[in-house]
Amino acid sequence: MATDALEELDFGTMSMLDVLGTKIELFTAGDGPSLLFLHGIDGIEGSAALLRELSRDFTVHAPSHPGFGSSDLPKSLNRVDDLGYFYLDLIDVLELDRPVIVGTSFGGWVAAEIATKASERISRLILAAPFGLRTADRREQHVADIFMLSRQELNIRLNRQEPPLSALPEDRLRRAMRNDEALSLYGWTPYMHNPKLADRLHRIACPTLIAWGENDAIIGPAYRAAYAAALPGADVAVIEAAGHRLHADRPEALSASITAFAGRQQDRIQA
Amino acid sequence: MIIWQFSEQAYHPAFQVPGAMRVTLPQHHCEPNEAGRLLNRYLDEYMLADELGLNIMVNEHHAAATCMSTSCMTTLAILARQTSKARLLALGIPLANRSNPLRVAEEIAMVDALSGGRLEVGLVKGAAYELFMSNRQPTGFMDRFWEAHDLILAALSNQGDNFSWEGEYFHYRTASLWPRPIQQPHPPIWMTASSAGSARGYGKLGYTCATFLSGAVARSVFTGYREAYAETHGRQPGLDRLAYLALVACASDRPTAFRRAEAMKSYFTTAARLDPQYRNPWGFNPIEANVRMLQAGSSAMRPRMRNGKPLPVDGTIEEYMDAGLMFVGTPDDVYEQLARFNEETGGFGNLLMMGQAGELDHADTTDNLTLVGREVAPRLAELTEVPLDIRYEAVG
Repeated sequence: MATDALEELDFGTMSMLDVLGTKIELFTAGDGPSLLFLHGIDGIEGSAALLRELSRDFTVHAPSHPGFGSSDLPKSLNRVDDLGYFYLDLIDVLELDRPVIVGTSFGGWVAAEIATKASERISRLILAAPFGLRTADRREQHVADIFMLSRQELNIRLNRQEPPLSALPEDRLRRAMRNDEALSLYGWTPYMHNPKLADRLHRIACPTLIAWGENDAIIGPAYRAAYAAALPGADVAVIEAAGHRLHADRPEALSASITAFAGRQQDRIQA
Repeated sequence: MIIWQFSEQAYHPAFQVPGAMRVTLPQHHCEPNEAGRLLNRYLDEYMLADELGLNIMVNEHHAAATCMSTSCMTTLAILARQTSKARLLALGIPLANRSNPLRVAEEIAMVDALSGGRLEVGLVKGAAYELFMSNRQPTGFMDRFWEAHDLILAALSNQGDNFSWEGEYFHYRTASLWPRPIQQPHPPIWMTASSAGSARGYGKLGYTCATFLSGAVARSVFTGYREAYAETHGRQPGLDRLAYLALVACASDRPTAFRRAEAMKSYFTTAARLDPQYRNPWGFNPIEANVRMLQAGSSAMRPRMRNGKPLPVDGTIEEYMDAGLMFVGTPDDVYEQLARFNEETGGFGNLLMMGQAGELDHADTTDNLTLVGREVAPRLAELTEVPLDIRYEAVG
């Protein structure tokens, strides 16, 4: 599948990367230490503003997850657990030496999975509004079920102005449909989480920052508290005047938090 | 042409509740004694159909006031015992929404045994919005469908030792049907199509192909089926392999028939009442199908009237008749309309007749079925094959 030009990502280069036979779309921009960026439910295109900020301080590598954008979707990948291993392979292929890893939303879940498997390969881990932990307890929902929301309601909750799908050019429409399909593949059930993740998070030994948008209309307070409890050594930042897409709502603020956290001279000892 | 009586078995008192009729409608709107009364009434009407020499079709839906039959096989298990002659069609079992296909095979075998081998089995994809109730994975839906299909047919037709099954989606240590079905190698299989492409697949397999409320599109569905069947099997399929579903409102006089049709029309208006996000769950349709659908716009999938315009959901009875979704009038009228539609579509051997729909009450349904059974069915049975030249001219 060919990569389509994405005008919002005109400050870097788009290429296709072969990861052990799976071809994925990779956006690269900037100079500095390596940073692997893992996008959320809105695709790499939805993170353009943050990527622009990050590219001032880092060499940013931003792939589209398998199945998203124009990346291949091999049958063997159908769990975020699989994506954790996939990205360890990608880090090898790109020869990244202990990159900073930033994941937002769905990508935060992917980042957490990578880190539970090999956190020694990561210099700093930043999870922005991450999915991945149990989203509900029987009848009590801590995370909104995006598959049950109308697109209109979802856009309101994501603070996103999106033209109607039918008005999109064909290549954009195809990307949107692929992004939806991939999210459904990885997140339909169990809803947006890996039941095993909570018991694996203790394996994360690299310095970790969890960032939330103050007004996240997808992820509720009980879930955020559960993430903090599962990663007691992590820093927690709350970005004001931002929602679930804090990378789009406050890209400068999130980028400043990431740069400050990643730029510290010494690794902090995990509590 | 033979006739199959079909009712969705609606809980029509809920039609007055504002908003959606599926997925989100709270169950407290269901008065269970009234539901039980209605279910028994619909079964009585199915038994009348049997007495009149009509066949029987049952479907299922979930979380819907429009259809209280939540399991084809539960309804057919009752009718297997309470009817004597009718063929009993489940159309259909939503296969990829079922977590346990071996259980599906067991139920098929049991109802076939109970009915003395009168069961016919529709294996269907199922409505997209029912994924919210089954919570099965939307992606890989058709792969799962075909694996379940393969397993069910293997179990139904097995004459040898019990077998184990280690598939991609389903895993069983041992498959053994007690009872096994009377009809061997298995009861007739039906599938549903709304395009020539999907009909071609069923033509290759030789399964009976039904198309629902599709009007003029039925022509291309049947043509696709015929072509693929002939290519694969070296002969034309019998008319018994093709089926069309529509509403029939028959009465001794036209005003009564149209009044009945109005009472049935709430089937269409309530079926459409569903919040948009449930229509197409993420990952359910193939990417390219979604792209084409969104580019074509929402009216592209609507049946067309003879003037080429899409049929409005709240259209008049005349418009529904014009599009080939309703056949309304005296027995003569209904016969003539059906004979014409039969010719226009190239011919089909099964009319899946909604002889009850929406709010049509018991007295009207009884009279409707009786007139169809006594005065329309015998004449439809005499319909001859549509000559090949007319058949292909119609497709044009």
